[in-house]
Amino acid sequence: MNDTIVVIAQHSQGAADPVTYEAIACAMELCGGDNSCIRVIVPGKQTADIAEKIAGTTGADVTAVEGKGLKLYNAEAYIKVLEGFLKDIKPLYIVLPHTSTGYDLAPALAVKLKASCITAVEKINHADGKHTFIRPLFNGRLYAEVVPETESTVITVQPGAWHKAVGSPDKKGRVNVITADAGSTKTRTISIKHSEYESAALSQSDVIISAGRGIGKKENLSLIRELAGIFKRSAIGCSRAVCDVGWLGYRHQVGTTGVTVSPKLYLACGISGAIQHVSGIKGAQTIIAVNTDPHARIFSVADYCVVEDLEQFIPAVLEAYGRLYSE
Amino acid sequence: MKILVCVKQVYVPGTDVTIDHSSGWIQYNPTGFRLNSYDEYALEEALLIKERIADTRVHAVSIGPGRTEVAIRRAMEIGADEGIQIRYEKEGYLSPYQTASLISSYAKEKQYDLIMTGVTAEDDMQMQTGQMIAGTLNYPYASSVIKLEMKTEHLVYVERECDAMRRECVELPMPCVLTIQSGINKPRYPALSNVLRTKQQKLMEIPAQDLVMPEAREKIIKVFLPETTARGVFLQGSAKEKAVELLRILHEKAFL
Ligand SMILES: Cc1cc2nc3c(=O)[nH]c(=O)nc-3n(C[C@H](O)[C@H](O)[C@H](O)COP(=O)(O)OP(=O)(O)OC[C@H]3O[C@@H](n4cnc5c(N)ncnc54)[C@H](O)[C@@H]3O)c2cc1C
Repeated sequence: MNDTIVVIAQHSQGAADPVTYEAIACAMELCGGDNSCIRVIVPGKQTADIAEKIAGTTGADVTAVEGKGLKLYNAEAYIKVLEGFLKDIKPLYIVLPHTSTGYDLAPALAVKLKASCITAVEKINHADGKHTFIRPLFNGRLYAEVVPETESTVITVQPGAWHKAVGSPDKKGRVNVITADAGSTKTRTISIKHSEYESAALSQSDVIISAGRGIGKKENLSLIRELAGIFKRSAIGCSRAVCDVGWLGYRHQVGTTGVTVSPKLYLACGISGAIQHVSGIKGAQTIIAVNTDPHARIFSVADYCVVEDLEQFIPAVLEAYGRLYSE
Repeated sequence: MKILVCVKQVYVPGTDVTIDHSSGWIQYNPTGFRLNSYDEYALEEALLIKERIADTRVHAVSIGPGRTEVAIRRAMEIGADEGIQIRYEKEGYLSPYQTASLISSYAKEKQYDLIMTGVTAEDDMQMQTGQMIAGTLNYPYASSVIKLEMKTEHLVYVERECDAMRRECVELPMPCVLTIQSGINKPRYPALSNVLRTKQQKLMEIPAQDLVMPEAREKIIKVFLPETTARGVFLQGSAKEKAVELLRILHEKAFL
């Protein structure tokens, strides 16, 4: 049986993204703790340098796949180039990060390779020489253990679930560069735009008071603002759900598709703690969460947990603050 | 134009999630079902196209047992012209590949210009079905679409929402598959006229056996509740007492 594990690297601005090293770490676990069966593929325009760097850092063998049509990510071009290559290797696993590139590519690639596809993997179990994969359901309220039943399996790994891979400093992986031509594709990636939102206020604040769907109605933002008012320098953040209903603008959104923040204090009010939200607050020093649901996932990352209805709790805090602390 | 919107009836558990140990799947509370909210954004996007381009028809398709009729009818009440129910009676988990195969096999000869889905389903959060439909039908696709413009009769321009506030600007010809991200629009509520129209309409029912339904390529062997990993301190007492305690902590840590 073939036991090659392929990692498809994600990179930007000439360097591998951190999630690439996390995917390699996951591959190393699948490989039994080392990098002997790992082959990292770096598709792109000029990726030989990135490949060298990955091979140096992790000790894994790396193939840079360079070619026309690969400069910007384009699902169709990537699949065209990777399909043939992967059909030859017949890897046991193909590992990608669970990012906007990874989850775009993985399912369609799996269809082409007649592989199973397991997304957002957070953990691997090993039993009787078999691997099973643990992934969340219902925003982490529940987990599923999934077993593939195909020769090849494509998995995407949740960012942050593995620590970045490091190899032994004396063993550098082999690097080879191959050229590929994606030919003409129907899909055309025109450019990458960076968001126009000015998010500096959030990313530079020491204290962020953040609102979730649990505030119930737009009017309750005044509670959040009043609470923010008791701190010297604070900013208002929120979950995506709050932006989607139009209560706050997207520049306030914290999370993978919003702003990544690292304040000294993050106070989450009525936020359930979806993985996409929580990934954005990993750098916070102290997290306080207020939620009516004692099982809310936000409590698994919070330092101080308050199981209360924010409509009663925030006024109680404001009242006690006025009584005890304001001079 | 002809647009197919794939909708899912998702189960949204309340505060209590129970696992049914005989089936190994979650125990459904009949009141917990609703139309996947990401699909509402996909449907709205289709309806916005219909408003701009004459003779556009919007179909909503869903797979599942009888109960899924409610979600399909909801999509029709919101504005889909027609509802298609692919009847698959077994409760529990249907893999994205099986779902995509059934939808592809239905859609194959139907000349849809656009096939749309929500970026993910709120229940199993796979983010796979749309991309797999595209893979099966050999259509170009884009996932996580946060902006959509019809360039010409045959060409769509989309912006894909990527991580770290980046957007990928992509052009693709139709037919194609798009998975739609929340926030792209403001989904409308059902209008009375559509509610009345829907009442008169029949769904098109197709038994799953009449379509191509491959074996699942992966199986769920177990679902389980995560261990309570709360690492923090739960404040105790009444709301007032908790408030005083929280302020004490904030003061002690020099936040106030
Ligand atoms: C591709 C993708 C990217 C995403 N990116 C992001 C992102 O960057 N940021 C982000 O935030 N989300 C993101 N999401 C959405 C994410 O999955 C969740 O849907 C979202 O974070 C939920 O927001 P919420 O916690 O406010 O709402 P909900 O999940 O609805 O939670 C509301 C919470 O409020 C509590 N509550 C209700 N009433 C009260 C009350 N009176 N007092 C106290 N508590 C109360 C409830 O118990 C519940 O826990 C993304 C999703 C996808 C698919």
